[in-house]
Amino acid sequence: MINSLLVGFGAGLGAYIRNFLMQTSNKIKIDFPFMTLLINILGSFALGYLTASVRDKRMLLFLGTGICGGFTTFGTFNMELSQLWFQRRFFSCILYFSLTYIFGILGFVIGIQM
Amino acid sequence: MQVWFFYKEVRIIKEFKTFTIIFIGAFIGSNLRYGESLLFTTSDNFPWGTVVANLSGAFILPFLIHYLQDRYKLSSKTILSLSTGLLGSYTTFSTFTADAYRLFETGNWIYLAGYLFLTMIGGFLFAIVGNYWAVSRAFRDLERSRK
Repeated sequence: MINSLLVGFGAGLGAYIRNFLMQTSNKIKIDFPFMTLLINILGSFALGYLTASVRDKRMLLFLGTGICGGFTTFGTFNMELSQLWFQRRFFSCILYFSLTYIFGILGFVIGIQM
Repeated sequence: MQVWFFYKEVRIIKEFKTFTIIFIGAFIGSNLRYGESLLFTTSDNFPWGTVVANLSGAFILPFLIHYLQDRYKLSSKTILSLSTGLLGSYTTFSTFTADAYRLFETGNWIYLAGYLFLTMIGGFLFAIVGNYWAVSRAFRDLERSRK
């Protein structure tokens, strides 16, 4: 019960921070979903760092599964990917795909070894 | 001066409303994901929970934005709560990288390849199919309304 509260509260905070960053990025006129990319890399890095440094299980559940899990998003990433695909911007599509996966996993590895 | 304070207060209240709207969605979404990760715990430690959550979320999000939004005349607040809040927290990228790293570290190469393939290719395909499904449903409704 308390675990689900911890996850829920963390995700609420994470999702709000994500929404805040997304709204800020709407003001910058770059025709590429760079903010989702940045959010996913940052969240993966943070989760890697937390997995290595936080020992308390409940704390990790709140910070990792909650905040990092709510902060990063897979649905929006694939939605934007499919939009690029339907707009026939295949280069941007492949670039977005590879940048997210390469730097996302790299971010986690750097985070866990810091 | 007073006008300025009033303006500030309105902005704070508005921001708090946005926070509450997203918070409720995210609370539900993250608990669905957490529940799935507990539900799909198999003896071989393959992260089925993350796969199921991510793929279903990738499929539903385009359908919500491109079909359900118009079909049920959902307000922008409902959409914010459902898309950014619920589905945004339901799906996750950071847990995916963590699972991939864990499979890499334990040397489970076949599982790692399967997991990467399912998430990377599967997520993209599910999003594409979600888009097509939304468009086809919208067309069907349009034709029905013309009859």
